[in-house]
Amino acid sequence: MTDTTQHKGARLAAAPAPAFGVRVWDPLVRMIHWSVAAGVLVNAAIVDEESATHELIGYAVLGLVLTRLVWGLVGTPHARFSAFPPNPAAAVRHLAGLLRRPHRAYLSHNPAGALMVYNLWAVLIGLAATGYMMGTPRYFGMEWVLDVHEGLFAWLIISVVLHVAGVILDSRMTGVPLVRAMIDGRKRLRDPTEMRE
Amino acid sequence: MTEKATSASRDERRAIGLAAVILLQALTALFFLGDVIFDLLQDGLIDDLHMWIEALASIALIGGIFFLMRELRRVMSRLSTLDRAMQAARGEMADVVEAFFGDWELTPSERDVGLMVLKGLDNDAIARIRGTAPGTVRAQCTAIYGKAGVDGRAQLISLFMEELLAGEANLHPA
Repeated sequence: MTDTTQHKGARLAAAPAPAFGVRVWDPLVRMIHWSVAAGVLVNAAIVDEESATHELIGYAVLGLVLTRLVWGLVGTPHARFSAFPPNPAAAVRHLAGLLRRPHRAYLSHNPAGALMVYNLWAVLIGLAATGYMMGTPRYFGMEWVLDVHEGLFAWLIISVVLHVAGVILDSRMTGVPLVRAMIDGRKRLRDPTEMRE
Repeated sequence: MTEKATSASRDERRAIGLAAVILLQALTALFFLGDVIFDLLQDGLIDDLHMWIEALASIALIGGIFFLMRELRRVMSRLSTLDRAMQAARGEMADVVEAFFGDWELTPSERDVGLMVLKGLDNDAIARIRGTAPGTVRAQCTAIYGKAGVDGRAQLISLFMEELLAGEANLHPA
């Protein structure tokens, strides 16, 4: 009892600035994000790759990505492509400046994160397309289709590792817990005045 | 305030429901559409009733998705408007407190104590947090009430409540 009062009091007295969460990711973005992650995980690690379940999950992930692409055109402000246009030059500048400047927080994706997002979408669509082709009479048994599918899968795993590393790095440098933002949709910026798209 | 908070949580639930339905519809639409395209690739034409119905169902589903997406966007934009209003109210309250304390010419420690009184802490808790004797806090409170011209804690708080309620009108531009 004493402890809680003390804790509460100390917090109230110490900081007038509550970490204010800005609503960034709407529920559709979050649901698609975690469903795609789960789908990739299940398809990569759990189900048999020749099974019907593997195909079904693959198509479901494709559907999720396509829905997200539509949402990128007509969705909420932070979910739109216009909030994080692909800009390789800015991404390189962002990465090069990582260790030098005080780091900047973005409301949507940072330039490097934005490129990763487009990369992941492209890879997932490629995987679904080659996966579909393998099942068609025209391409059935063709070695190169399987090779492309497997090559894309390897690149997907590398991308996922980079994506997770980037999220951890950015969270540390900006102090904005990004994973939490993808769960409850709010980005808690240390300094609300520093927020930008 | 509470009314706003409940309408926000209602909107939040609504947004989650909308997103779930959008996803479900999108996956169903893809399934139907895939089936139609698959059949087309095999036969090369849409001739039987079954396919027409499937094609129609896909179109209806996709139309529904866009409708729901527009609704979701509206709910989300309402939520951020509400957020901004709350934020403004919070900032306004801080400004009001600051202005009153300045008017009364409170000393820095009286400001601290006054703030904690407003946040609902009792003298013992304030003394513990500030590491002073409860008697000191009592004396500081008396000084604050004297400067504010009120006869106690409840009256002090009601001063700010009045200001806040008067300001409430500004939060609802008609």
